[in-house]
Amino acid sequence: MSTSTLKTKNGLQDTGKTVKQSKGAHSPMAMFSKVRLAGFYLAISLMLLSAIGLGFKGLNLGLDFTGGYMTEFTTSQSIDKGQMQNQLGANLSGDFELSSSAANTHWTIRQADGAAHVIDKDWLYTFATQSGYDIAPQDSVYIGSQVGSELIDNGGLALIVAAVAMMIYLTWRFEWRLACGSLMALVHDVLVVLGLFAWLGLPFDLTVLAAVLAIIGYSLNDSIVIGDKLREVMRAKTNMSMSDIVDTAVKSTLTRSLITSGTTLATIGAIWIFGGQPLQGFAIGLFAGVVFGTLSSIAVSATIPQLIGLNPEFYQLRAQELLLNDEP
Amino acid sequence: MRKSTSKPKYTWQILVIIVTVIILGLNAIPTFYGSNNALLVSAINPTQTLPNTQKLRELMQQQQVDVEQIINGESDSKIVIEGDDETLIQAQAHLKNTLGDDYQVRLGSQSAAPTWLQGMGMSPIKLGLDLSGGVLFVLEVDTNKADQERIGNAKDEALQIIHDQGLRGMSVKIADTENKINLHFLSHQAASVKSVVNELQQRLPGVTYSSSGDRDGTLVFSEQSITTFHHEIMAQALTTLRGRIEELGITEAVTQRQGQNRIRIELPGVKDPEQAKRIIGATASLDFYEMAQSGTVGIKTFTDENGRRLRLAPKPIFTGSNIENATSGRDEMGVALVNLALDGIGGKKMSEFSKDNIGNPMVTIFSEYHKNSSDEMVKSSKVISVATIQSQLGNRFSITNLDSPQAASDLALLLRAGSLDAPITIVQQRTIQASLGQENVSNGIMALAIGLGITLLFMGLWYRKLGLIANTSLVLNLICLLGLMALLPNVVLTLPGIAGLVLTVGMAVDTNVLIFERIKEERKRGRSNFLAIETGYKEAFATILDANVTTMITALILLSIGYGPVKGFAMTLSLGILTSMFTGVFVAHVLTALVKPQIPVKQQELKS
Repeated sequence: MSTSTLKTKNGLQDTGKTVKQSKGAHSPMAMFSKVRLAGFYLAISLMLLSAIGLGFKGLNLGLDFTGGYMTEFTTSQSIDKGQMQNQLGANLSGDFELSSSAANTHWTIRQADGAAHVIDKDWLYTFATQSGYDIAPQDSVYIGSQVGSELIDNGGLALIVAAVAMMIYLTWRFEWRLACGSLMALVHDVLVVLGLFAWLGLPFDLTVLAAVLAIIGYSLNDSIVIGDKLREVMRAKTNMSMSDIVDTAVKSTLTRSLITSGTTLATIGAIWIFGGQPLQGFAIGLFAGVVFGTLSSIAVSATIPQLIGLNPEFYQLRAQELLLNDEP
Repeated sequence: MRKSTSKPKYTWQILVIIVTVIILGLNAIPTFYGSNNALLVSAINPTQTLPNTQKLRELMQQQQVDVEQIINGESDSKIVIEGDDETLIQAQAHLKNTLGDDYQVRLGSQSAAPTWLQGMGMSPIKLGLDLSGGVLFVLEVDTNKADQERIGNAKDEALQIIHDQGLRGMSVKIADTENKINLHFLSHQAASVKSVVNELQQRLPGVTYSSSGDRDGTLVFSEQSITTFHHEIMAQALTTLRGRIEELGITEAVTQRQGQNRIRIELPGVKDPEQAKRIIGATASLDFYEMAQSGTVGIKTFTDENGRRLRLAPKPIFTGSNIENATSGRDEMGVALVNLALDGIGGKKMSEFSKDNIGNPMVTIFSEYHKNSSDEMVKSSKVISVATIQSQLGNRFSITNLDSPQAASDLALLLRAGSLDAPITIVQQRTIQASLGQENVSNGIMALAIGLGITLLFMGLWYRKLGLIANTSLVLNLICLLGLMALLPNVVLTLPGIAGLVLTVGMAVDTNVLIFERIKEERKRGRSNFLAIETGYKEAFATILDANVTTMITALILLSIGYGPVKGFAMTLSLGILTSMFTGVFVAHVLTALVKPQIPVKQQELKS
């Protein structure tokens, strides 16, 4: 196996340094490499699983995306919104969104399903007698999605343009194989979060979309930090094997990855616990995104360049070219 | 010794930091105060005097409403009250009742920050629909009117074809009751009818012909074609309205189709919907005509403001849909005008037309739908200019002689955002509460505060002195970001925006962690304390720059292509990247250089 030959190579170099370190870095390095590869395969399986989930179950798109039925009614007195929410919840099957006018007398309910009883407002009379409120039904109509088809088209276009622009920038700053790694990690993070929402059947609304957008930002940030480290190690330690270089790079950014993810997860966790129902989807999406993003930054973004043939020679050549150019 | 050499080195940096933080910090302050509800009382007749302050106070006291202050403006009095929206609406109703029909009472808001801050023009961050509520409009798109217009056009086309083919005696007329055209022809023309209909169908697909006698027939649009047409106008109306709302600088509006032919628009942070209403409800269109030549059929006649009758060609040279951009301005005499830029097709038509017609007039017609006294939609057209073509024109020219700068900027806005073919009426308008609810918003803010607290505590414990520097720069980052968001127009904070905020805080922490880890590493390599800090900042900067530039690319693309929630997120994120680069790299570096923290390094960790 390739790892065994690498081990001896590594061990030979390390004997030059302190004895303590060569013993210490020896087996954990190989272990780490295995863990990293295992993580990589895990990430690939998660992506497949997510793709299957998205393909077969699909996203449980919220009202923001699908549109639905809207019922409006007025009450003669002002009623507390929380109270109204609870009482309606007991009466209505399925999810609904409740909003009220300034004086809490004009109510709007949005529901996804347009079952007959929703449209003909029968349930509203039943609800009125049950709750004792003086309710006057106003309107019950189909309502289009909040997100126009042009947003979906534009959004898709935006993502593609963003991906291409990133690839160009990263290829210019780093190397195309590193850019591929970052992009793959990004696809992984977004796909897995979408897959999670598909499998769990959690409603996917605009707040979750915001979370997904934030995940894109995180994922990129993580990948670049690792890519940068990778480049640095490749320049400095040219006699190491690629696998060890990747391990060294990932290991030396591990503290940073954990601190950054940890503090961010603390904030998101606080939103999850204290933020209340409306922020739940948002917090879950972002939490999952950061967790999987950390995984992919360790296991995917640096492993891909290694697998598609990035090697230290590339940077040596580049360094030599630069030296030649610098000399008059 | 180093003190004396390093201190003067940072003088300008410290100055930059202090000035930036003071400016942005001052802008951030009003946000913490929030804003109060206010009522705006204005007289309908400008000569009428406003009710005096004492009387307004008394009126409010009758309702047990606490008045914060009353600001007397030039044309209105602003009563700033304490209390929620419900109190506000009750107070408005009371004022309306007592003051009578001569006065108008509108809703508004007033920043609760101290007056000296307001005096400097600083205002709180505008909150989106989900956080603060706004105003709801339900608009009805008059598809019937659009159908009539369409059938009218079909009639004109048919007339033109008949004229072109020289079929004397054949006539078309729009039926009174339904949207159909009655075609009347002489008995020997039966064969020619077919060719007319064919030609018409080629120009207007969807027209069907049915014969109703040997000298009569009817032309109608097929059911399917009408359905598609309605679908198209609804889609066009939605797109145009979204464009107009965006032109108004409201990025976080919700626009939805409601039922068959209604559109629901929710605008955030708008307490006084008058301007929005004027722009959203307008169905303005602009057409450019040449004068009719003799022998043309279907001549349109308009009367200009001097009472001159103008006979115009039936078809415009080009229409408002060919306008690519429009800006308002003034000519050298100070009269308001609108500068127009046409798209390729419009530019070509204009240049061809003007080349052949130097010395001839071109008439600009402005059409708008409005309701008449019996509540019917009427299209009114106005000649806004009759200009003589002086030379061959390209795709840029101006419409001059507009009534006022306001009229010019409204017209420019409407032309930019696209015209509406079908008239639109506002059928409902009311204020709405935040969709997230007050409780949820405060929960969310508390959660953010807890998360931030944990982060600050952790950084302090983990990095000690460096951690305190990180915390200082993190807090400064948030202050700068809030200040920047309050300072810039068109920035609205929404839930997706808060997602951007969380991400920004994360990236700001990351910036510091990257630098500190780097410094620690340099120390382990045996560098001196000072050198390790300098190298750490220098080396980590490349990484931080790459990470931020890439995220910035994404944010800017989302900002330019996205709409609504996506835009709100991208806006916060891109501003956050700027502030976190500033505080995380620049401020923290200066602070570190001033504090000179000792970074301990264990002997066994030292690499040879």
